[in-house]
Amino acid sequence: MTFASFIAKNALRNKRRALLTVVSVAVSCGLLVTLLTLQRELTVPPESEAASLRVIVRNKVSLAQPLPAKQLSVVEKIPGVVAVSPFTYFGGNFREETVTSFAQFAVDPARFRDLIVEGKIADGSYDDFIKDRTSCFVGADTMKRYGLKIGDKMRFTGTIYPVDLDLKILAVFQGTVDDRGVFFHHKLLDELMGNPGTVGTWYLRVASADVANDVIARVDKAFENSSAEVRAETERAFQMGFISMLGNVKMLIGSISAVVVFTLVLVTVSTMSMAIRERFRELAVLKALGFKRTELFGFILAESFGLAALGALVGIGGSWAFWTLIDLQKLTNGFLLYFEVTPRIMATGATVAALLGIVSAIGPALAVARTSVVEGLKTLD
Amino acid sequence: MAAEPIVVVRDLSKIYRQGDINVVALDHVSLDITAGEFVVLMGPSGSGKSTLLHIIAGIDRPTSGSAKVQGIDIAQLDESQLADWRNQNVGFVFQSFNLIPVLTAAENVELPLLLTDLSGRERRKQVQTALELVGLADRGHHRPDQMSGGQQQRVAIARALVTDPALIVADEPTGNLDAKSAGDVLAILRSLTLTAGKTVVMVTHDPKSAAYGSRSLHLEKGEIAA
Repeated sequence: MTFASFIAKNALRNKRRALLTVVSVAVSCGLLVTLLTLQRELTVPPESEAASLRVIVRNKVSLAQPLPAKQLSVVEKIPGVVAVSPFTYFGGNFREETVTSFAQFAVDPARFRDLIVEGKIADGSYDDFIKDRTSCFVGADTMKRYGLKIGDKMRFTGTIYPVDLDLKILAVFQGTVDDRGVFFHHKLLDELMGNPGTVGTWYLRVASADVANDVIARVDKAFENSSAEVRAETERAFQMGFISMLGNVKMLIGSISAVVVFTLVLVTVSTMSMAIRERFRELAVLKALGFKRTELFGFILAESFGLAALGALVGIGGSWAFWTLIDLQKLTNGFLLYFEVTPRIMATGATVAALLGIVSAIGPALAVARTSVVEGLKTLD
Repeated sequence: MAAEPIVVVRDLSKIYRQGDINVVALDHVSLDITAGEFVVLMGPSGSGKSTLLHIIAGIDRPTSGSAKVQGIDIAQLDESQLADWRNQNVGFVFQSFNLIPVLTAAENVELPLLLTDLSGRERRKQVQTALELVGLADRGHHRPDQMSGGQQQRVAIARALVTDPALIVADEPTGNLDAKSAGDVLAILRSLTLTAGKTVVMVTHDPKSAAYGSRSLHLEKGEIAA
């Protein structure tokens, strides 16, 4: 017999309780990892090198307010701007869907080519897309999800604009951080809307990340005191603005996570307390045989830590496997594109479980340390 | 020349505090126990016999006075030193056996040896010897719940013996046993004093059990009466 086998036998002496403890730690750790991953996905948008060079210009009043199309001639002349395109969110429902499960944007195809430099043409021809104003340029994920092919039609029912779109797929892209979007000719939207002379936003690419802040300042200044003042911001800042519309997600998820951890502490502390209380006399016997307080604390800690670690392994590993294997886009109807359980999140879950193992051992260990051999021997007599 | 006493108790008192009342468990007790003796402590409940046994065994501390075992004043040892001392010098036999239910008989006997520097093989050898001494060499792989009360108590005696301590303390070791098993256990304890030179101090209420001892001491109200 070794100390390790002695600890293992003690930990598993009540198999049902040990199993329930491991399962409760596993479920809680899995839930914690899921919440932390959700928080990350909602609050940290995907970044790419190209995204750091892109700037979005919107109406200073609100994103819902359009901008005059005539601003283009001013924007494209601003030093540091190397490409610019109108970028108008259409927000239509595909086929018979009742929600917008992926975004559609009206762009100037010729100008837009210089903006999504990280994207590759996976199928069809971008030149064909440029030539046909009823065509669209579709992300590979959306093509795959709906089983689409080049030449297929995509019909969108407008939810923001009072018009519907009937677009022919002529090009497919992939390799961007979000390969779901659909891009079509702004001219088509203009025609359908009676040429209002407006765009939703301007999408710019700047010469380098070093000049991005200067360009933003110049764009803002260019339309200062005009009838359509603008607010320019990096793509990342723009995405973060969207996220803020969801409310204080970070605090909400943080609060739920705290409740999960707190409940987990109560469960494991209670379990360990029960397990040790039942063995008070045995521990007193061990003391009588010559085991010291530190050794008994080691036994209790190892037992508690072992159960928590096993639960964490099952919970965190299971969570990682689950979120890696399932089709999240389908499950969330396109709301979440990625749900990556990162090593950092798994380490956080493991740290919580480790702390849990230690914290739940402290109470019972102190109780054992405070109790004399004689008192301990009397406990269950 | 008289043999050296292994236990020397002088002017030993133990006072417990129960609420606002002081309860005198031992009142200026003095006694000597010679190596190889089988001393039986008798007396009514609350007479202080178990308290005296606990102090001699180093699991309780006196309020005043001294208890020296093999020349060491155990009251002066700190918690950690006392734990080491118990491991090396005292074997315990309890009324309710107090074996660890998830361990086999051999593993229970091996427990005190985990604190020594012995190798696994050396430990197993000593465990086997101890089990042979109590007549349970073939029951080492049995768990306590697969054994009778008498067998469990013999395993407990093997556990008390396995570190080869000079002193064995037994607190009502036959209290939970039938007459036959009690006789077997007491015979083993007596043979340990006669053949292995161990010193046994046993607490009992039972005069028949006391008859196995070489000397009986009666305690009344915390004092040795005879």
